[in-house]
Amino acid sequence: MSVKTFAAIDVGSYELSMKIFEVSKARGMREIDHIRHGIDMGTETYSTGKLSYDRVDELCRVLLEFKNIMKSYQVSDYKAYGTSAIREMKNKAILLDQIEQRTKLHIDVLSNSEQRFLDYKSIAFQGEGFQKIIENGTAILDIGGGSIQISLFDNDTLVSTQNMKMGVLRLQERLHHLDASIRQCDALIKEIVESQMNVYQKLYLKDRQIKNIIVVDDYISTIVMRKGKSSGISGFADRKMMDYFAQTCRSKSLSELSRMLDMAEENMPLLYISLILLRTIMNTMEAEQIWAPGVTLCDGIAYEYAEKNKIITSSHDFEKDIIACAQNISKRYRGSKRRSETLEQIALAIFDSMKKIHGLDKRERLLLQISTILHDCGKYISMVNLGECSYSIIMATEIIGLSHQEREIVANVVKYNHLEFDYYEAMERQHSLDREAYLKIAKLTAILRLANGLDRSHKQKFKNVKISLKEDQLLLTVDTTEDITLEKGLFGARADFFEEVYNIRPEIRRKRM
Amino acid sequence: MVISMSKTKYGDPGNYTNRELSWVLFNKRVLSEARDKNNPLFERVKFLSITASNLDEFFMVRVASLKDMVNAGYTKPDIAGMTPKEQLTALNKVTHELVERQYSTYNRSLLPQLVANGLKVIERHEDLTEKEAEYVDQYYEENIYPVLTPMAVDSSRPFPLIRNKSLNIGALVKKKDGDGSLEFATVQVPSVLSRIILLPCENDKEKKVILLEEVIERNIHKLFLNYDIVCSYPFRIMRNADLSIEEDEAEDLLKEIEKQLKRRQWGQAIRLEVEEGIDRRLLDIIEEELRISEEDIYRIDGPLDLTFLMKMYGLSGFEHLKEKSYAPPQPVPELPAECDIFEKIRKQDILLFHPYETFSPVVEFIRQAARDKDVLAIKQTLYRVSGNSPIIAALAQAAENGKQVSVLVELKARFDEENNIVWAKMLEKAGCHVIYGLVGLKTHSKITLVVRREEDGIRRYVHLGTGNYNDATAKLYTDIGLLTCSPSIGEDATAVFNMLSGYSEPLSWNKLSLAPLWLKDRFLFLINREKENALAGKGGHIIVKVNSLCDKDIIESLYEAAAAGVKIELIVRGICCLKTGLPGIENRITVRSIVGNFLEHSRIFYFENDGKPEYYCASADWMPRNLERRVEIMFPVDKPELQKKLMTILNMQLRDTVKAHVLTDKGTYEKVDKRGKGTFNSQLEFCHMAVEAAGRQEQLANNRVFIPEMHHE
Repeated sequence: MSVKTFAAIDVGSYELSMKIFEVSKARGMREIDHIRHGIDMGTETYSTGKLSYDRVDELCRVLLEFKNIMKSYQVSDYKAYGTSAIREMKNKAILLDQIEQRTKLHIDVLSNSEQRFLDYKSIAFQGEGFQKIIENGTAILDIGGGSIQISLFDNDTLVSTQNMKMGVLRLQERLHHLDASIRQCDALIKEIVESQMNVYQKLYLKDRQIKNIIVVDDYISTIVMRKGKSSGISGFADRKMMDYFAQTCRSKSLSELSRMLDMAEENMPLLYISLILLRTIMNTMEAEQIWAPGVTLCDGIAYEYAEKNKIITSSHDFEKDIIACAQNISKRYRGSKRRSETLEQIALAIFDSMKKIHGLDKRERLLLQISTILHDCGKYISMVNLGECSYSIIMATEIIGLSHQEREIVANVVKYNHLEFDYYEAMERQHSLDREAYLKIAKLTAILRLANGLDRSHKQKFKNVKISLKEDQLLLTVDTTEDITLEKGLFGARADFFEEVYNIRPEIRRKRM
Repeated sequence: MVISMSKTKYGDPGNYTNRELSWVLFNKRVLSEARDKNNPLFERVKFLSITASNLDEFFMVRVASLKDMVNAGYTKPDIAGMTPKEQLTALNKVTHELVERQYSTYNRSLLPQLVANGLKVIERHEDLTEKEAEYVDQYYEENIYPVLTPMAVDSSRPFPLIRNKSLNIGALVKKKDGDGSLEFATVQVPSVLSRIILLPCENDKEKKVILLEEVIERNIHKLFLNYDIVCSYPFRIMRNADLSIEEDEAEDLLKEIEKQLKRRQWGQAIRLEVEEGIDRRLLDIIEEELRISEEDIYRIDGPLDLTFLMKMYGLSGFEHLKEKSYAPPQPVPELPAECDIFEKIRKQDILLFHPYETFSPVVEFIRQAARDKDVLAIKQTLYRVSGNSPIIAALAQAAENGKQVSVLVELKARFDEENNIVWAKMLEKAGCHVIYGLVGLKTHSKITLVVRREEDGIRRYVHLGTGNYNDATAKLYTDIGLLTCSPSIGEDATAVFNMLSGYSEPLSWNKLSLAPLWLKDRFLFLINREKENALAGKGGHIIVKVNSLCDKDIIESLYEAAAAGVKIELIVRGICCLKTGLPGIENRITVRSIVGNFLEHSRIFYFENDGKPEYYCASADWMPRNLERRVEIMFPVDKPELQKKLMTILNMQLRDTVKAHVLTDKGTYEKVDKRGKGTFNSQLEFCHMAVEAAGRQEQLANNRVFIPEMHHE
């Protein structure tokens, strides 16, 4: 049996942690070791944008130790991710290179949505418990050092996600700034959180019924998990218990608390802030219970790895989440559902018949699908600057499950559906996109444009189109009695671009009756 | 770190015994072994020697510490409500009594018995025959004289530094052509020479010995040629010279000293031993120079420093007078010689009971790990190891074989520092990752973790123990060890080493409880649970075997549990600050102490838990220093068959009628009343059991029926 040993490293805002996993088809994932080193990088980066020399030194020292531990377990693969503290660093490129030179460890930086997606993945991999809980109205509250993320489920699909800069470390920093006493903290945090939550509620939550909150964090999870350990059901807590914890935090001294809750004393302030934060959010959502599965980013990193290497699969359909998210965005900007559907149908049909030519895979198909769903979202703002506005909306809206680059691909495909295509040589000056991503944009844009052209009148005349590839021709056979003069007329320009990209000429034909 | 518990009705200091006084009682129990006629004569000699070295250490560490407190004006009362000054006063009385008892044992019991058995100790050099005298004088010239450094004191030469714990001969001398005034002179009895000098004998039946100081005294005039020797007497001093402040008091004592800006009086003499009948004028000089008070002077009726008796025990020719009924360490039935230890551990958890069972599987465990190609890492905590330790050698070997080896070496282990540094450096050279202890904490836990990569993934093998990884003491100390590959203990063990390496604590523990963070609370919880059970009418029963019991919170919760109806049976070898027979508790708490051939060292805990009994073993005693200032580990023993083994151990110790003393309500220890119980020596029985079990295994192994292999790999 092949067992792989994998190390997941999380370079977090206040902690450097590594989990060692054994990953195998037969036994799934097994955590072997969990090593944590407290290091506060957030406070420095959030306020100055840089990391001091000593911190960098400490970071490298611990990473080297991690490397030794990896060696001792004969780890075959590793993945190291930096989160918000690194993300918000002004000179991250320099720092990451420095680290790589010194430790030979490569650290990738996760965008917020990528990071949240990994957390989400690790929750979803909890299996049955997760599927069961999301049958009822559920939100995921992912509390980080820099920000929090609230994701909402509709039925069993994740439909929206929002990031708010109310991470515990940031809140603490802000309170520190305000020079608030412990007693005031409570009210201040409530005030900060409530003001944001009110907006959130009006815009996103609306009248959704949220019964459960799944909590991902480092403090509440620990005490809630432990509480449940003796009673057998791990990780659940109701409002009463949260009230009890918050009350205890208020009335006891730090050292008493640390003893009671069996947690290091220095963690107490952040636990306290987390508790108030959670309580306030629970109140606005009127949620009844929380579930803290106790997952960490490291788990998510490992799941991602295992999934990518086809070692394990999840029962939860993440693509469905992404599509639902996109549909939700389209709905918000009054996109036409019917038109999207037609476009999707045609575009995907073209994509599928071109498989041999474009060499793209399932993931790009998904991106194309998302592009069709979001193709007209900019209309909400301007009918003229449709391309630019759509691009901006997509770039500013998080879609959990898509990486930052994937989102950029989608935004560009939608943009060039309406605007003249910029070639790589011109484009690279504005974007950080690499050649590969650029080619994907070009290929997907060509398809979307073609599909869009076939439905120019928005009357879904081409609903039943048969597409076949014949040597250097793509035959689009339409089964319609309606007049297709408009489509045929406009087809030329679009076909040119398509031909340029694929070296294949698309032709429209009407099915002979 | 630990908040004191709310005052209960048992919080009163009157309900506790002072730990120093309790320690003296312990040493008395050791002394009673020297007085026990049922013990072979030479064993009695050895026990007497042990009481002497015990007392020396007690003075250097405990009494010195109390003196420090008094000097610093520190008046905080102890668990029994006594100030340091009061403790010193009380101690003075009992230590004097103890010393008297030591020497009456020596003079009245042992010396005559030794003569009767063919070993004569010539107490005074005047009693030597002419021939013998000639022999010792020659011995003096050839061997002793060259290493002596006589020192005289006069106006130009100050009083010499008398070294701590050294034996000296003080003399009053008078210049041959002087004005007749007396001067002080002294010479140290060299510690490089054997205290015992064997005299030539005409026949084989009898051996005669004389002590080194007698020979020097006899020849002392040769050292001070221009003087007449007026008189000469041996003397010995003990100084407050332990550079490390005793950890029990350390924290607030240091603060107190700083506050008062008073320096510790380094090197202050805290005990002076002199031969009884010493010349008053001589004593006055020593007394004044050392600035020692009258109550700290011990007038000794016999040779000073009885630790020489350990050498006497080693004299050849008296094997028949030594203990032989205790079998040597036996093979462990579950681990036959040359077996694959990992395979055996995979089969079942294995409980080791030393010294009845041999310690070699533990050494073998590390040796095999060092050689095994599948082993990735070995991690171990080391507190005190023997010189030339096979464990150290195996660890070094493992590192050379490319294993990742991490060793936490506790340098703060008392009296062992230098020794430890030497081999720690050696390990480092071999490529081991060595951690030199933790800041502010002594690492007393005994744990070894072997990480092995097997076909279906990583498996962790763990050894947890109550005793040090010391193959020499493992032959003398009773200890429990557990070999397991239980995943939950393995995870915890990994977490322990992560913590010891400076990483954050794990989010939660599966099985292990660690001091100083969690262990005490765990104990209080376990005791309290018995109390709740008793109150709920479900009954409660605690059996605990430790070496010392002096943590106030623990004792108080034991009192409360007993008051609620819990039956508490304690087997406490040494210090016990708990009292029996308190009102409301009566006889629900019993305390017994076993002092026998082996040093009782294991710590075993049994909690009835309403019919779902829990068993634990630990590296920690119930002392504040173990629970609050050390890294200690308690581990559960879950497997029913191993629990049975532990219960047998506890039960047999509770049945002991030979080596057990029972604490009376008056605070004294009495031997068990044997009437109706017969004689039962638990240590001896453990030996028999181990021999029997090993024999059964051997029989199985020697079975002459062939066993066909049914599988071919």
